[in-house]
This record gives sequence, C-alpha cells and structure tokens, in this order.
Amino acid sequence: MDATLIVYALNLSAIYALLAMGISLVWSSIGMLNMAHGATFAVSGYGALVLGELALPAVDALFGGWTILPLLRMAVLLASGVGVGALFGGVIYLIAFLPIHDKANFPVRGLIVTLAINLATVQALLWWFGPRQQALPNVFGFGRLELLGVPVRYDQAVTIGATALLLAAVLGWLRLSRKGLEIRAMMQNPEGAALSGISVRRTALPVMAVTGAMAGAAAVLLSQTVFVSPDAGAMPLIKGMIIALLGGLGSVPGAAIAALLIGVLEAATGAIPFLGQRMVLLVQFGFIIAVLVVRPRGIGGLLDETRK
Amino acid sequence: MSALLDIRDLSAGYGSLRVLHEINMTVARGERLAIVGLNGHGKTTLFRAITHLVGWQRGSIRLDGVEIGGARSLGEGRRTPGIVRLGVAMTPQGDAIFPGLTVRQHLDCGAWSRRAWRERARRRELIFELFPPLRKLETTTVGTLSGGERRMVSVGRALMTEARLYLVDEPSLGLAPSISQRVVAALREIDVADGAMIVAEQNVSLLDGEVDRMIGMHAGRLRGDVGHVELG
Repeated sequence: MDATLIVYALNLSAIYALLAMGISLVWSSIGMLNMAHGATFAVSGYGALVLGELALPAVDALFGGWTILPLLRMAVLLASGVGVGALFGGVIYLIAFLPIHDKANFPVRGLIVTLAINLATVQALLWWFGPRQQALPNVFGFGRLELLGVPVRYDQAVTIGATALLLAAVLGWLRLSRKGLEIRAMMQNPEGAALSGISVRRTALPVMAVTGAMAGAAAVLLSQTVFVSPDAGAMPLIKGMIIALLGGLGSVPGAAIAALLIGVLEAATGAIPFLGQRMVLLVQFGFIIAVLVVRPRGIGGLLDETRK
Repeated sequence: MSALLDIRDLSAGYGSLRVLHEINMTVARGERLAIVGLNGHGKTTLFRAITHLVGWQRGSIRLDGVEIGGARSLGEGRRTPGIVRLGVAMTPQGDAIFPGLTVRQHLDCGAWSRRAWRERARRRELIFELFPPLRKLETTTVGTLSGGERRMVSVGRALMTEARLYLVDEPSLGLAPSISQRVVAALREIDVADGAMIVAEQNVSLLDGEVDRMIGMHAGRLRGDVGHVELG
C-alpha cells in the first residue's frame, strides 16, 4: 500500500468516524437510533452553501491577498456547517425526542420518527433547492503539499486535521467536563443517572447538538470532493449506521476503530485492479457481515461504556 | 411540625402485577426507620415508588408537605431527577451503578447541586473518612471493585449532596457479614439532622440497635410497627 493510498484511507476514515461516532453516541446516551443523521448531513451542506455565499465575499474583501485566505474560507464554511448541524440536531431533539422519550417502546418509536424526519427533510430540500447537484466553493483548488515526502491534497490534509481536532475536542468534552460526566453516567446506567439527579431531557439536547455539529462538519469536509444534493445524506447515513454497528453500537471508541478499518478497506478495495471502485460496497458489507457473524457485539463489545 | 414523609394509600406495581397494596406510613424528622421483610415482598418497590421508578403507581406521597406521588401508568423515571433534587437520596439495590467510571467520577456524579459540585473535593474527603478503604481506590474503575467496595461507593454517591430523605436498599445484600456490619455502622454515622433515613433489609439482627423503629413488610402490605427491637 503506497503512501497516497494511506492518505486517501485516512481521509475516508475521518469522515466515517465523524458520522459513526455521532450515531453511536446518541444511541448509547439517550437510546435513540437517529435515522435523521443523514438529513442533518444534507441540511448542513446546504446551510454551508447558503451562508457561505453570504459570508465569503466579505471574507475575501477583508483578507484578500493573505496566504491563509483558503484556510479562513474553509473555517467560515466549517463554522456554518457545524452551526447549522447543531441547530438541526436541536430540531430533531424537539420533534423526535422530547415528546416521546418516556413513552412505551421509545427505541422503535424514535427510529420511526427520525426516519420520517429524514424523508420529510429530503423532500423539503428537493422542493426548496431543486434536484440539481450544487458544489460548495472549492476552497483549495487542486494543489498538493508535500508532507514527509508524501503528496497530500490540500482538502485531504484539512479534512484529516480538522477531524482529528474535532474528535479530540468531543472526546475531551466527554472525559473532562461535568456534562460529559453526566452523559457517560447516563450511558452506563440511565436509572442510576436519574437517581443522581441527572435529567435525560437536559442532557439529550447537548448530545443532539454536538452529534449534529459532527455531521455538519463531515458534510462540509466531504463537500470539497462531493456535490451537495438533497439526497446527499443517504449514503453517509447508511455507512455511518453500519460502521456504528460494526464498532458495537453504543461504543464510541469502537466506532472510531471501525471507521478506520472501513476507510482502509475502502481505499484498498478501490486500488486492487480486479476489484476497483464498483466493488467497494460489496466488499465493505461482506466484511461487516463476516465480523458480525463472528462477533455479534461488534468490535467495541469488549470495551466498556456500551449500553447493556 | 408535619411529618417529613407521609404516604397515603400507595399502590404500585409493574404491568398487570400489583406489588404494593394501599400502603400508609409516616416518617418523622430525625428518624431512622427500617423496613424489614423477606425478598419479593415489596421493600424495593416501595422505594422505587417514592422515586417514580415503578411501572405504575397511585396514591399520595408527601415529602415535607410537597406532593411527589400521584397516579400514573407511564413515564417511569421521568420525574426521578426532580424528586432527587427535592432532597431524596437513594442507594439502589445491588451494585454500584456506573461500572465504567472511576470512584472519584462516580462520587462526583452524586454532587448534583451547585453547592455540592463546588465543594465536591471536600465532600469526597468526608466520604473517604466514612469509608477509609475507598481512599486509595480513588482512580480505580468501579466495575473492578469488590462487592463491599462497590456498596461503599454506591452509598457514598448518595451522600455527596445533603438530602432530606435517605433511602438505603438492602445494604447487606451479597456482602460478607463483617463487611455488611461496616456498611451499617457507616449508615449510623450519617447525620440525618432534620431529615430521615429508611433502610430496607431482610437481615433484622444486622440492624439491631441501629434504628429507631422497624416496620415489617409482607406481601405488599406493612405489617406491624414493632418499634425498637432487641434481639438476644
């Protein structure tokens, strides 16, 4: 495996990790399988498109000629994607979590309601923006930089770097902050958390906002190579979901490891001549089925902090 | 002065199963009360009804005159954090509750009030004085502790914020006699001030002389208020 392939694999893994960890985190802390994660992805992409059109001219005017201009433009796009994603996470919380979270059979009802939000959102985007694929401003062009002798595309470097920072921030928040402590307590024992005065209703909102923000970041980072379209969220949702499953649904570190595995697998499959890009999904799903047959609890089954 | 806890006609259960049958009881301020009875006769369900963790319940539960009971058939656990914040600290039956957290994090979870959170380091010290074996386990994961240590963590968590009503469910369950005696002795140390403590226990002799009053529980009904008992 040559070095460019490793960079490509890391790039894919970064996007997958952002999505799968969000799904896993929501499931393990508030017990909801968030099928609207793909809608968050698509909405954030459009959010970055609209807000970017508004804000980028001003940024260009203010900082024109600066060498870090592309980075600033990317930061603006990323901030709008993250912000819109977090807001949309809050919307999902209001519609799919708050009214039904203490009713009987919440896991199934939550699944159905979030799936409905997903479908409705895709239709709304289709109605408002039309079916045409649109490109976010290409910030970095197609230049490359040499990193330790390996040519890395600018957008790949930014994707990997930004994802590493974001994931570190989220994991640090979970490990070190008081809210993070409450969320982890809720993951391990919802009833015990309630007896410690931790309210699931108050904890679920930051969880939904943070995972929404992660989906938003993934949307903006991916949009440097892929178009924004109303149904852009379908494939990220499916892949995020199966990677979360592979990682042992509910295990956040498991999801990160699974994302890395799947990213490497996808890059390797694409590079093998007789398999190629068209076989990527087949190989991926085959691999995941094989792992789940052998280890039904997924990779993270042995790691702690999974929902029992 | 009104009673701290006043329960009237409390019935509760899970689905079609009715566990508690019209329970009436009052607990005065400063009182240490034991509810004794065999397994499966409703001691735990009584505690879970007070904290709204049973499947359904009806009847009145007044804490310091504030109604925390009422009839409901859904939403178990929904009101629990609110009831905890009114000053009910419960140590649930069985083991310490967050297996993946360290002892220190676990104790911090109990410090839900603003003031307790600010003073959590000092409060942890108090817990360590009450349960000396926990001091050197501060950064150990709770899931790897022994049964007795877990029980100490679980009781300690409930003590991190002052409560008006302490509910301790089966402090001796699954523990060696010497360790359960230590846990019960620690419960005796707790200053309930103008609050109260209710301990559910099947081992009556363990609580001998440690509580002010004992009530028997049989088949979901309270049977006889036996007052203070001395066992020979």
